[in-house]
Amino acid sequence: MSRVQQNMPVFIMSGLLLVYGLIASSGALLPTMKYLHTHKTMDLQVTMCLILAGIGILGAVINSFKEPGDSLFDRFFLQPLGGIIFLLLLAMFIRWYAEPMVKIWSTALAPILGFKIYKVLNLNYVVLGLLVGVVVTNSVGIPKFAASGVKCARFVLKMGVIMLGARYSFAELAKLGVYSVWLIGIFVLGTVFIVLWLGKIFNQPKTMTGVLSAGMGVCGVSATVAVAPVVKAKSEEMAYTIGTILSFGIICMFIFPTVGHLAGMNPVQFGAWAGTGILNSAQVAAAALAFNSVDIKTLKVAEIFNITRVLFLPIIVLVLATWFGKDSGQKLSFKSVVIDKFPIFILGFLILFGLSSAGLFSPPQHYKGKFIDVSYNERTQITDDEWHVLDAAITAGTITGLSESQMAAVTDLHHQRQIAGNFDEREDSKLFDKVGRARMTELEGIIAAVKAKQVTLPAELTSVFKHAVKQVHKKSKTVSTLTDVMIWFFAFGLIGLGMQITKKAIFQAGGWPLVIGGISGILKATLSFFVVLWLVKDVVLN
Amino acid sequence: MSDKNKNEKVNNDNNTDELEERALSVFSSERNEDITALVLCLVTTFIVLLFTKWLV
Repeated sequence: MSRVQQNMPVFIMSGLLLVYGLIASSGALLPTMKYLHTHKTMDLQVTMCLILAGIGILGAVINSFKEPGDSLFDRFFLQPLGGIIFLLLLAMFIRWYAEPMVKIWSTALAPILGFKIYKVLNLNYVVLGLLVGVVVTNSVGIPKFAASGVKCARFVLKMGVIMLGARYSFAELAKLGVYSVWLIGIFVLGTVFIVLWLGKIFNQPKTMTGVLSAGMGVCGVSATVAVAPVVKAKSEEMAYTIGTILSFGIICMFIFPTVGHLAGMNPVQFGAWAGTGILNSAQVAAAALAFNSVDIKTLKVAEIFNITRVLFLPIIVLVLATWFGKDSGQKLSFKSVVIDKFPIFILGFLILFGLSSAGLFSPPQHYKGKFIDVSYNERTQITDDEWHVLDAAITAGTITGLSESQMAAVTDLHHQRQIAGNFDEREDSKLFDKVGRARMTELEGIIAAVKAKQVTLPAELTSVFKHAVKQVHKKSKTVSTLTDVMIWFFAFGLIGLGMQITKKAIFQAGGWPLVIGGISGILKATLSFFVVLWLVKDVVLN
Repeated sequence: MSDKNKNEKVNNDNNTDELEERALSVFSSERNEDITALVLCLVTTFIVLLFTKWLV
């Protein structure tokens, strides 16, 4: 077979990308994109497709005329190129078509089923990517031209974990009291040791229990990927861990809110419990909202407890490196664990976390790139029409049923046309910020009260308050872009990981990971339930 | 089995594991893989900062 023929799949894939990119840039796909709610990514779709098509055609041309060699250019570009394009094509299909379609179908089926399937089964790019990878490898098999590129999957997953560091900031940890951080740390480490112990009892391979312990202790995909190289876990063991965590989370999503209501937990207690007991961050948010969709505090506490666990990742890596080394009969010194065994890519996670905490990407107190800015600014004002609605309501005295502080916040919004501190106190930035945030909280309280039908206000007035609150909620473009890059890395890596999982490997692992994961998860959820009821009072956030 | 034989067996097992693991990667060692991932991520971060913060 001639070399041009060998490179035909790469030419075809690049051609498809080129055609898609050109059609998308003409705007012909805009109605479809709008239907799928992906129209905001149109520029990205065009750019990615055209660049990738260009690289693909160039690489395929070089591959067609150049003798295969063993240079760095051959090993890291020419040989894996076909596989990289293949995985990226699948990732694009999942992110731009499969995931939005699943969302649309499950929303359409919601009135019949009573719930949204994609939320319950967590059918996002993580699950869909893994599934697509497993289906491809166990049906048609990994195409020959893609074999080398699939080997990049773990490397790209590591890049995803490094980028994860950019989303978090030390200021989030500081919001929790020392006592809450201890609580989270004890549960994280406790779960890790329980899983390791159960693994020993059930006589499971230490590669499996090692990676499962990190997944069950810290949180889903990122912890699994981070720990896998330390305990030498195989692809199917990583997939099993992710599967176990997600399945356990699905059950928790239903049980937690019901138990929380039966036990009479307050919003903060439930947030702390869900954030400690449920592993996947999307499932934590779903459970918090199911428990209390009105009080935003439940979700906030749950999310902070959840992300604080991620920050224990480097410690868990060290613990498991020591455990794995000792269990393999190696003599370990402090140097061999901290310097030799500590994965360099986790250092990358810490570097990005450090830069994020220092405020390089966003103000240091950001949360996943979101932050509140109540500084006096024309851009955060409500519109003139909205001000007139507010003015008319205050003059006519139609705003009733609010507390004194809520009414004061409304009067100030009318006076300053935005949520901010007192203009005269703007020199004292701390006081100015504090007063502004307090006013925002009061307005959020009004919106929540309206939603809960405790207060009745005209819809257009509520929308003025909503807009005012939205205006002070900012989002860092840098963190959003870095997060998007991270999602692409994970999507690519998880499809590749799925492709390394054969039916035989799945049957060999059996159902034990599910049993061990289930026991440790139930233990953790039960213990944290009592601890939270006993120790966590109303206020856990500084 | 003597200690020497035991050590040889452990070394052989470790080598087999290492070879199996490397067969799933384009990199010759874990260290190279990690350093490349770190460098690429730092470059990506720099580019993102350039276009979303410093040049805007």
